[in-house]
Amino acid sequence: MTYDASVRKDAAGATAPTGARPFWGRLVQWGPYRAFAALATASPRRQFAILATFPILWLLTQHLGPMVQMGRVSLLDAYPVAPGTPQTFTLDNYMRFFGDSIFWMPFFRTLAFATILTFCTLILTYPVAYFLARHVSRRNQMLMLLLLLVPFWVGEIVRTYAIMILLGNTGAVNLVLKWFGLIDRPIPFMYTGFSMGIGIVYLTALYMLLPLYSALEKLPKSYNEAAADLGAGAWTRFRRVTLPLTLEGISSGCTLVFLISTGFYATPVLLGGPSTTVFSETIAGFFHVAGDQWPTGAAFAVIMFVTALLITGVFQAFMKALRKGEKA
Amino acid sequence: MNRGNRILLSCTYWAFVLYVFVPLFLMILMGFKDSKFIGFPIRSWTLDWYTGVFSDSEILYTFGYSVVIAVLSTLISVIVGVWIAVLLEGRKFWGWTVTFALMILPALVPGIISAIAFRIYARLLGIEPGMGAIVWAHAVHNVPFVVLVVMARLSTLPKSQIEAARDLGADPLIAFMRITLPYLVPAILGASVFCLLLSFDDFVRSFFLGGYEPTLPVLIFAMLRSGMSPEINAIATVALVLTAAVGIWAERFTRRANKENQA
Repeated sequence: MTYDASVRKDAAGATAPTGARPFWGRLVQWGPYRAFAALATASPRRQFAILATFPILWLLTQHLGPMVQMGRVSLLDAYPVAPGTPQTFTLDNYMRFFGDSIFWMPFFRTLAFATILTFCTLILTYPVAYFLARHVSRRNQMLMLLLLLVPFWVGEIVRTYAIMILLGNTGAVNLVLKWFGLIDRPIPFMYTGFSMGIGIVYLTALYMLLPLYSALEKLPKSYNEAAADLGAGAWTRFRRVTLPLTLEGISSGCTLVFLISTGFYATPVLLGGPSTTVFSETIAGFFHVAGDQWPTGAAFAVIMFVTALLITGVFQAFMKALRKGEKA
Repeated sequence: MNRGNRILLSCTYWAFVLYVFVPLFLMILMGFKDSKFIGFPIRSWTLDWYTGVFSDSEILYTFGYSVVIAVLSTLISVIVGVWIAVLLEGRKFWGWTVTFALMILPALVPGIISAIAFRIYARLLGIEPGMGAIVWAHAVHNVPFVVLVVMARLSTLPKSQIEAARDLGADPLIAFMRITLPYLVPAILGASVFCLLLSFDDFVRSFFLGGYEPTLPVLIFAMLRSGMSPEINAIATVALVLTAAVGIWAERFTRRANKENQA
């Protein structure tokens, strides 16, 4: 296209809606801006460089930086490094983990809890997602989904507190059980693995529900109808059609919930008891004191993070293989 | 699908709704109880806890402090997030996958690990624990959510509009400001509200990066450690009403904006 430069400028002004024109028109005509624009857009490569520099710098310094520094501190034998002394790297902080059961017990407890709770969340939310996606009209779907979204906007602490009130010795559950004459004295739900589990599922359910819902929603109804025409019963249809085709949603929901539930700190502190100490409490313990314990805390955090990533990685690979197997 | 199944499924849905709402409902209820003791039975009712909250300048200050942190961190997240989204969406370049993985990283790191990684890094950067550190940590943590929402919206922007603007003589910056940015407004608003809520509700980062002034969740946590009291219920209820109202408003707004854009 061969436009004369002055024509182009005119055209740029002409696209402006009324009222906005003066500012953009003037900016385009303004000398320094024109010089800048000419310089910046001289070549596609320069344009890209200008666009990409800030994001790349941000990602490296702000997203990667904290993780790298955490890894570095975890290898230091003392932190902060005393002035005048060279910093020495060691694996001792990692070795401490294996040395004492008060360290690795919470670790394995956390992994076991997270696995069980992820499974419970899946079982609990799958029928809900299924109902929303398959049995509710479009219009109501959004409303009924919104109904579930509202409580999830409320913060972690407030919802944990709500669970404390629900399960307390004078809480609603014990009150109802007493009314029905099922118990004489309140069941001590609080400060056990049970109360912690209820609390964590309460906090993570939505992260499972949404991926499941979108997977189920994408599934064409005709698949099920075809299977039904071929004589498949309800259970067979679910097992052979619906379940295999929603494996992707299950996989991403489980990954999210697992990662999130390993990272809770306030909920185990408030709802758990001495017998349910989780690894996040262990890690946090090293950071309440001034600074000399930081390398050990950082090492433990690295252990936790790497293990969690490995587990979810293996899980995702497994689910992928399963999907391929179903397709073949 | 037969009717029995359908009824069973709808029961699970409503049971789930109960599971989600009953605890919050009980919490709100207890805030009106005329006794220091949390639990049933409730014999008389009062509004004293609420008047107490609204006349306690320390609690009001904490509210304001949390809101300011939420607004500042959201501003940073949105600017950075839109920039990264524009870089990533619809462009192919060497290292795209790595860039995307780095972008999503803060959202995948479990809470406690993210909090202490920020704590360690803040010390390296020389940021003292306090408001600045919390704003920074929230901003970094929320960037991936902005990027994902904005990328989704950006992928539906008709390429022809940009091309038309360019043909009419707009340089890339003008085209972005006049075509892309207005098109992104609903996504940016939705993402902003999401970031505001994430920041306002965040406990673990605020706890590890906070100085002597607590944010609202940290204050509630500290109060809870010294025992339950209807005063906490009143504070939590006010926070709940605020977040739910903002969330519902944003949901309605983005839906309406999306509809208008489709029409």
